[in-house]
Order: sequence, then structure tokens, then C-alpha cells
Amino acid sequence: MTAPVLAAVVAQATPLAACLVILVTLRRQPAAAALLAIGSLVVALAAAAYLVAVVAVPNVHTLAQVVWLPISGSAGLAFGVLLDPLSTAMALVVAAVTLAVMVYSLGYMAGDPGFARYYGFLALFAWAMLGLVLASNLLQTLVFWELVGLASFLLIGFWFERPEPAAAARKAFVMTRIGDVGFLFGVLLLIRTMGNATIPNLLAAAEGGAFSPRFTALVAALLLMGVIGKSAQGPLFTWLPDAMEGPTPVSALLHSATMVAAGVYLVARLHGLFAAAPDVMRVLLWLALATALASATMAMVAADIKRVLAYSTISQLAYMLMALAAGSVAAGFFHLVTHAGFKALLFLSSGIFIHHAHSNEMKVIATRNPRSQRAGVIGLVSGSLALAGVIPFSGYFSKEAVLATLGARAGTAALVLAYAGAGLTAYYTFRMVFLTLRGARAPDVTDAHARAPGATAMAAPVLVLSALTLLLGWLGGWFAARLGAGEATHGPLAFGAGPLAALTLAALGIGLAWVEYGARGAARVGFVERVPALRDFFANNWYLDRLYAATVVRAGAALARAARWHDQTVLDGATDGFAAGTVGGGRILARLQNGYVQVYVAIAVSLLVALAVWLSGGLP
Amino acid sequence: MSLTTVLGVATALFGVGLYGLLQRRSLVAMLISIELMLASIAINIIGLTALTGLDASVGQVVVLVMVGVAAAETAIALSLFVAVHRAAHTIDVEQLRELKG
Repeated sequence: MTAPVLAAVVAQATPLAACLVILVTLRRQPAAAALLAIGSLVVALAAAAYLVAVVAVPNVHTLAQVVWLPISGSAGLAFGVLLDPLSTAMALVVAAVTLAVMVYSLGYMAGDPGFARYYGFLALFAWAMLGLVLASNLLQTLVFWELVGLASFLLIGFWFERPEPAAAARKAFVMTRIGDVGFLFGVLLLIRTMGNATIPNLLAAAEGGAFSPRFTALVAALLLMGVIGKSAQGPLFTWLPDAMEGPTPVSALLHSATMVAAGVYLVARLHGLFAAAPDVMRVLLWLALATALASATMAMVAADIKRVLAYSTISQLAYMLMALAAGSVAAGFFHLVTHAGFKALLFLSSGIFIHHAHSNEMKVIATRNPRSQRAGVIGLVSGSLALAGVIPFSGYFSKEAVLATLGARAGTAALVLAYAGAGLTAYYTFRMVFLTLRGARAPDVTDAHARAPGATAMAAPVLVLSALTLLLGWLGGWFAARLGAGEATHGPLAFGAGPLAALTLAALGIGLAWVEYGARGAARVGFVERVPALRDFFANNWYLDRLYAATVVRAGAALARAARWHDQTVLDGATDGFAAGTVGGGRILARLQNGYVQVYVAIAVSLLVALAVWLSGGLP
Repeated sequence: MSLTTVLGVATALFGVGLYGLLQRRSLVAMLISIELMLASIAINIIGLTALTGLDASVGQVVVLVMVGVAAAETAIALSLFVAVHRAAHTIDVEQLRELKG
């Protein structure tokens, strides 16, 4: 085993070991559990950093794979690691964000009765995501894909005693599962064709034209179903806003580097295969565009700070998928990385306000003196500047790369819509900032616990991530050199019509938000919120949930009721009837054994006579 | 004395024994009935060996052994009845029905 492979194995093994140890033995020792989990992520982060330093050089990939379960006549089940710039950079992002979230949770989750369990689940999440990122074949990808879904289910429903988180966790699990059905079939098709579907072989085959176009399109469409579910796109995104019921650090993790990033990462990972199906990619492009705009409209009316961020995640994921659909892995993945940084930052800083104000409502937070939380203010503002795409912050550079890709390859209509989405992003982001930070302070609020215990643990990751929003943007060239495969790149500060248009739109969005929400004496009511019908339409996810409840959910519930009837009446009835028959038969036969010896004798004699008659061939 | 007569007597004796076994409630009476049935079998063996041209002494030997075995069996049964009576203070089989299902 070479050193990089060993590092990759260590990066996966330590979080798993931490998870098992915590869940099995440390349930009653929260401090030890947190320490162990954080330690394991430090090891994983170090291993991932080493991998990036050693392996992430252009045009090199390392594949190490062992056949775990040989199957005669086929390739068997293999487990291994695939190390290249994409996987190692993603592993570093995953480990770094998880570590930041774990440190932050020391403060945010302090005193929770499930503290140790929480850290166990976080370690499980880290392991699942690292396994997914480093997987060398599609079967392994499938396994970790499902584990990621399981871990997010457990964490969204972490406060399962309350009905809303339990329902949100169920919804997240079931909705992603709908997409995963397609993913499963896609993987199975590829495994049937390719043996164990090792990713480099698969990409070589797809790019070499070994598959028929119809097969490629079918597989790409099926895999894309899983991506849409996981990355909360298209019709399957309504689980993500509800997933806000989980603890806020979990949202930070879920929305930046792990769960929803898995879908985007998969498209980047298998980009050769997807690129061979241009029709599917065109569908994905328009689906992502529609998702980006739709979720932006929803974010414009949300009252809950975490829901605003959730909708912004959906629209930013859509931007990543647009770049990938238009054919640029470098731009899409670059946006994934910068987004992981600033979205984790936004959630963590919103968590500081929520922790302080004990409310998710932006207007309530505004009345509880939010500006006393220095780290939160810094984090929220820098994260929002990055999300809105203001120039020195990371989001500007990556969104610019995405928009440049769209401009070069996707046509004018898509580009215009994407610019519109960027403008809306700036508007709703700063609506959130102004609503949260610029409210009138309620007179009766005291600052008794302005400095809550654990504030340092919460502030440190926020400040580190704030600094990163200024740094990550300069990595665009690094990604383009490693993932771009001959794309024309321009420097980060090259100004043309595109960047200027984007900056103008961002400025317009921020300006509109200032006029409506920020300025002294502003009405604090947006232009959308003045139209009640439109506001209700946007605030209720375009009534998609109601549509699903009326169609899919009702049909599913009817099917479930039919299945329950079948189970309880037919299956249970048959079993119960058989058992009752046995018992009743036993009761009847037990009458024969009544304790009267002479009855036994009579029966024995009659049977003997009958036997004799039968043996002698009947009566003469 | 024909074979039919002997078999008829034996059958009648067996029927009496069976009737007694099913009818009487005292363990001792039931034992006596079993002895009657055993006797009818002994008569059958004697008759079938002596009157069908076989060596009569074979049957006589078998029957003598049977009588000895029956005597031993009776002794064991009677001692069991004494033990039952000590435990349950009765030898009425209608009252000795603890082993019902």
C-alpha cells in the first residue's frame, strides 16, 4: 500500500472508528465523545491535506482497489480509493467543514442530552461522505451514497422527540429515496455492462464511445434522478427547507460539503459519462435554471433565516449543476468549494443569532440586539457578500466562472436567466441581512447573556470561515489547471461585459434590498410581499408540497393502507387462523385424554380391532 | 371336543374379560379381568397346538410359562395398587384421573 492510499484509508477509517466507539461506549461521556470525534476529524483533515499536496497534480489519478467478494464469471465486489485532484480536493473540503461544524457544536449543542450521540452521528456523516468522495467504483459509491442519506436522516431528526423534526427527517429520506430508485437502476445497468464499474474504466468507455447513445442517455438520466433528489433540484427540492428542523450546525454541514454536495460531486465525478449524453445535459441545464429562479422567489418571502439560506442553497446548487451541464467541471466544482465555505459560514453565523435570540424568525432576531454578536455579524455579512457575488469575496469568482461557462456554451437565453438569478440572489441575501441586523431594538431586552458559555467555540470557526471567503476565490486557476482539461481560462480579475453585468446586478439587488429593508424608516416589506397572492404562492414552495400531498402522497398513503389491510387481514388472518385451528384442534383432541383409564382401554381395543380388520383385508 | 368349541370358549372368556376391564371401576377387578383375558389366550394356545396335529407339549410349555409370568405380573400389580391406595386412599379408576389432558 503506497503512502497516499494509506492516507486515504486513514482518512476514512478514523471517523468510522470514532463513530463506533462513541455510539457503543461513550454515550454517557459527552466530553470524551466530542474530543474523540474532533480528534478523528483532525486526523482525517491532515490526511486529506496530505493527499491534496501529493496527489492533486494535473492529469494524474491513482486507483487502488481490492476485490472484496469475488464472484465467478463477473468482476466481483471491489472496494478501493480513487485519488485525483477532484476527489482529494473534495475530501479536504468535507473534512474541513465537518471539523469546523464539530468545533462550533461544542458551543451550540452544549448541554443537549444527546450530545454524545450527536457527535457520533457527525462522525458517521463524515465517514460516509469521505467514503463517497474517495470511492473507486460505482457500487461503493452507491453504498456510501445511501449512508450519507442515512446520516442526514439521523441528524435532521436529531430532536426526534418533537414531531416536526421527525417529519422533516422522514420527508428528506423519502424524497431523496425517490431519486435514489433511479440512481440504483442506473448503477445496476452499468454494473451489468461493466462488471464492478470502476470509475476510470467507466469514463474511458463512455468517452471512447463503447456505449450506444441510447444506453448512455438512459444511464445518465437514471443517475441524474439520484442527483436531483440528493442535491434538492427540480421537483424534488421541498425536503431541503424542511430539513431546517435539524440543529443549525447540521444544516451548515448538510448544505455545504456533505449531503447536497454529493449529487453535484457525482455529476463532476462521472462528467465524462454525462457529457456523452448531451440531450440529458440540456434537460439538466434548464431544470437547474428553473430551480435556481424558483427557489430564489421562495427565498424572497421566507421569514425564517434558515429557510432563506436553504432556498439559497438550492439555487446555488443549481448554478453548480448548470456549469456542469454546460460542460465545465472546473467551474462547477470551484463553485461547490467556495459555496461550501460561505454557506457553512452563513449557517454557523445564523446559528449564533438563533442561539442568542432563541428564534429563527429574522424579525424576532432583529429585536434582540443581534449586533452584540460580533462574530455572527462578521460571518453573516462576509458570507452574504460572498453569496451575493460581490467582488473580493469567493462567491464572485466562482459564480463568474459559472456564468462565463454558460455564456460560452449554453446560449443567450440561459445566460440571461442565470444573470437574473444572480441579481435575485443578491436581493434576497441582503433582504436577510437587513431584516436580521437592522431592526428596531425592543426596549425590554437586556444583554444578560450577551456572552453565552461556549461563545468562543462558536466564534472561532465562524471567523476562520470568514477569512476563507476572502481566500477561496483565488483558487479558480488551481481548479482550472487540474480539472479544466484545456478550457480557456481568464484571470480572476479579468473584466469584460460579463463580470461587469454581474456586479451591476448584484449592486442593484443589494440596493433594492437596502431601499426596502435597510434604510432608516424603510417599510421592511418587499415588492413581492405587497402582493398577497404572490407572497403566499412563493412562501408555500409554489404549493408544490400541497400538490405532492394531493397526488403522490395520497396515492402512496392509499397504497400503504391497502398493504396494511392485506397484511392485517389476509396474511395475519391466515397465520392467526392457522394458529387458532391448531389450538382448537388440540382442545378437541385433549377431550380424549380425560383421565379415565377405561376410556383409553376402549379406544385402544377399538383401534386394535379396526387394525385387525384392515390388515385382514376387510370383514369376510 | 372340537377346535370350534375350544375357540368359542376362549373367545367368550376374552369377551367376559374385556367387558370386565371396561366395566369394573376397581383396579383389582380390572386386574382379574385382564387375568381372564390372559387365560383365554392360554386356552387358545392349548387348543390350537393340541387339536391341529402339532406337538401338544410345545403349547403346554408355553402356557405354563405364561401362568408363571402372569403370577409375577399379578404380584407386581397388586403391590402397585397398595401403593396407589396409600397415596390416593382409593383404587377407584374414576377418581384416579389426575393425568387428564
